[in-house]
Amino acid sequence: MNSASEAQYREQPAKRLRNAAIRRTGSSAFMTLLGKECLELLRSFKLVWVPIVFVVLGIMQPLLSYFMPVLIEKAGNMPEGTVIEMPPPVGSQVLADTLSQFGLMGLLILALAFMGIVSGERNSGASALVLVKPVSHTSYLLSKWVSMMILTWGSLLLGYAAAWYYTWLLIDFVDVGPFMLSYVLFGLWFTFVLTATLLFSTFLRSAAGAAFSSLGVAVLLSMLAGLMPKYMGWSPGALSGLAYQAVTSEVLLPLNSVSWWSIATAVIGIAVLLMGSVVLLKRAPAHD
Amino acid sequence: MTELLQVKGLTKSFGSVHAVKSIDFSIQEGRCVALLGPNGAGKTTTIRMLTGLLAPTSGEVRFHSLARGEDHRSLIGYLPQTPAFHNGMSGMEYVVYSGRLCGLSASDARKRAMELLERVGLASAAKRRVGGYSGGMKQRLGLAQALVHHPKLLVMDEPVSALDPLGRREVLRLLQELKSETTVLFSTHVLHDAEELCDDVVIIRDGEVALQGSLAAIRNEHRRPVIELKLEDAPHAINWAQSFLQKSRTDELRYSWLSEAELQGNRLYMTASHMDVARQGLMEELTEHKVPFSRLEVGYSSLEDLFMKVVSG
Amino acid sequence: MKETMELSQWMGLIVPLVLLQLLLMIIALVLCVKAEETRGPKWMWALIIILGQLLGPIAFFLFGRRNQ
Repeated sequence: MNSASEAQYREQPAKRLRNAAIRRTGSSAFMTLLGKECLELLRSFKLVWVPIVFVVLGIMQPLLSYFMPVLIEKAGNMPEGTVIEMPPPVGSQVLADTLSQFGLMGLLILALAFMGIVSGERNSGASALVLVKPVSHTSYLLSKWVSMMILTWGSLLLGYAAAWYYTWLLIDFVDVGPFMLSYVLFGLWFTFVLTATLLFSTFLRSAAGAAFSSLGVAVLLSMLAGLMPKYMGWSPGALSGLAYQAVTSEVLLPLNSVSWWSIATAVIGIAVLLMGSVVLLKRAPAHD
Repeated sequence: MTELLQVKGLTKSFGSVHAVKSIDFSIQEGRCVALLGPNGAGKTTTIRMLTGLLAPTSGEVRFHSLARGEDHRSLIGYLPQTPAFHNGMSGMEYVVYSGRLCGLSASDARKRAMELLERVGLASAAKRRVGGYSGGMKQRLGLAQALVHHPKLLVMDEPVSALDPLGRREVLRLLQELKSETTVLFSTHVLHDAEELCDDVVIIRDGEVALQGSLAAIRNEHRRPVIELKLEDAPHAINWAQSFLQKSRTDELRYSWLSEAELQGNRLYMTASHMDVARQGLMEELTEHKVPFSRLEVGYSSLEDLFMKVVSG
Repeated sequence: MKETMELSQWMGLIVPLVLLQLLLMIIALVLCVKAEETRGPKWMWALIIILGQLLGPIAFFLFGRRNQ
């Protein structure tokens, strides 16, 4: 036992050096993996078409709100002189509508775009070639997650900013503070749902299964939070509602303690989903 | 000769299916080792545990240059049976990417990638997308990415079995060169490939090691003299053969030189325990009964015979 | 306010939207023609992209290509 511990003692410096070397390789390996993910986003044109779709969605909402009275007038075949009583659109409400549009179409598109991000490589065996190299499972997944987040937060910002600009031109000006706060809250909601997509993509073979499981979780959580705000107000599902409130309310930061809870549970949930993905990937880095 | 790694009691069960049952073997540095066995023997499972892609149910793989439990992936280069890459990348990009993942600097990775692509004959296709590569090209690219960090051990799963004869030739020629540079372990179900390339074999059957050792030693140790006797198509000859078989089974003392005998049509196959005694005994037999034969051939059993026996029996 | 807005101002608002949609359509069409393999015949995807408004190109980007 004495000699064993002595041997262990002698082994220490060498091991420390080696561990330092592994850590160094670790961070450069992460950057290499992230570079590859971004290259793939670019080559598959996701980096181009997803932001454009978000901008189009963002522009459409204010235009629709602005033209709605005209459209109804045209479609209604009203006799000459009929006066239509419609409340004039409010800028902040238009932005909230835009967010809810992003929450449906936008989230669906992103979940579908990322559904095969891990399962595709696991099914083909490409992940096996990466994970037999001295690369940690955490860097592998984190590189994918970061690339997802770059596209998600970027597209959301571009689309939402386009909506804000059009709303300003057509309807009225919305303060930057509420705009940014609602952007961050909504981005957090997207992050939560798409991290769930990553998790499902890690353990389901079917890409479609991953997309619809995570969207199912999203629908369930927001429905629960909407139906029972008292009991589920602390869940991440309340985030989208919170974002609408943030942009429509007069004063900045309408965050009460329950709201802070839903932010906290979302952040914790994202961390747990990521760790869960790592554990699942470690158990089976590649399908046969 | 130093030992590179030792596999001890490696076991994998999938539910109630025991794919690999406590396998033990070791690999000496600089040797080329074949993991030989029929399909479904547990070769791929063993290899995947060796590379860390599959967690063993029990047992361990121990590299002597590393502390117990330390990550050994940096020492291994791995080529799966049908390697899959990121199809959007070019061959060059993929090898550079592999090198970077193994901790090479950007310039080192480029240099090494160019050198390796040249070596595996992909220099002219280096800028093409991997998605458009043929099976043989993918295999060679797989070899290049496996070697990018100068691994101590190159592990390959059935490296040539999915290839057409031409691609197979190319890859075998490459492996012939490579085995002088690093330690190699590969699995195959084709004895001929193992004989062509390897120093050592580990033959596995039903998830267990059936036989292992250096090819030369196995060949010597299990070599048996065999005699093939072709008889004339005469009833007298066939009758003799049948009574000879009968007698050899009853009078074991007199026919002690004969360990096995089998009659197929007009050919009598005999496995002897001692060639000289066998030759003498058989000649006496033949003259005594005036047996009309057209050919008598004396030789040694091949590795193939042994492989078939080990694997099926 | 509706009456006071000039035609050029209208165009200034609508044109970016139309251009972006056109851009999406063109990118999708080019990728469709260049793709090695599509899920289903290419002419079908071309029709979907052209006639499907915003959803056509999106559907192609998401489901049209095999192993991108």
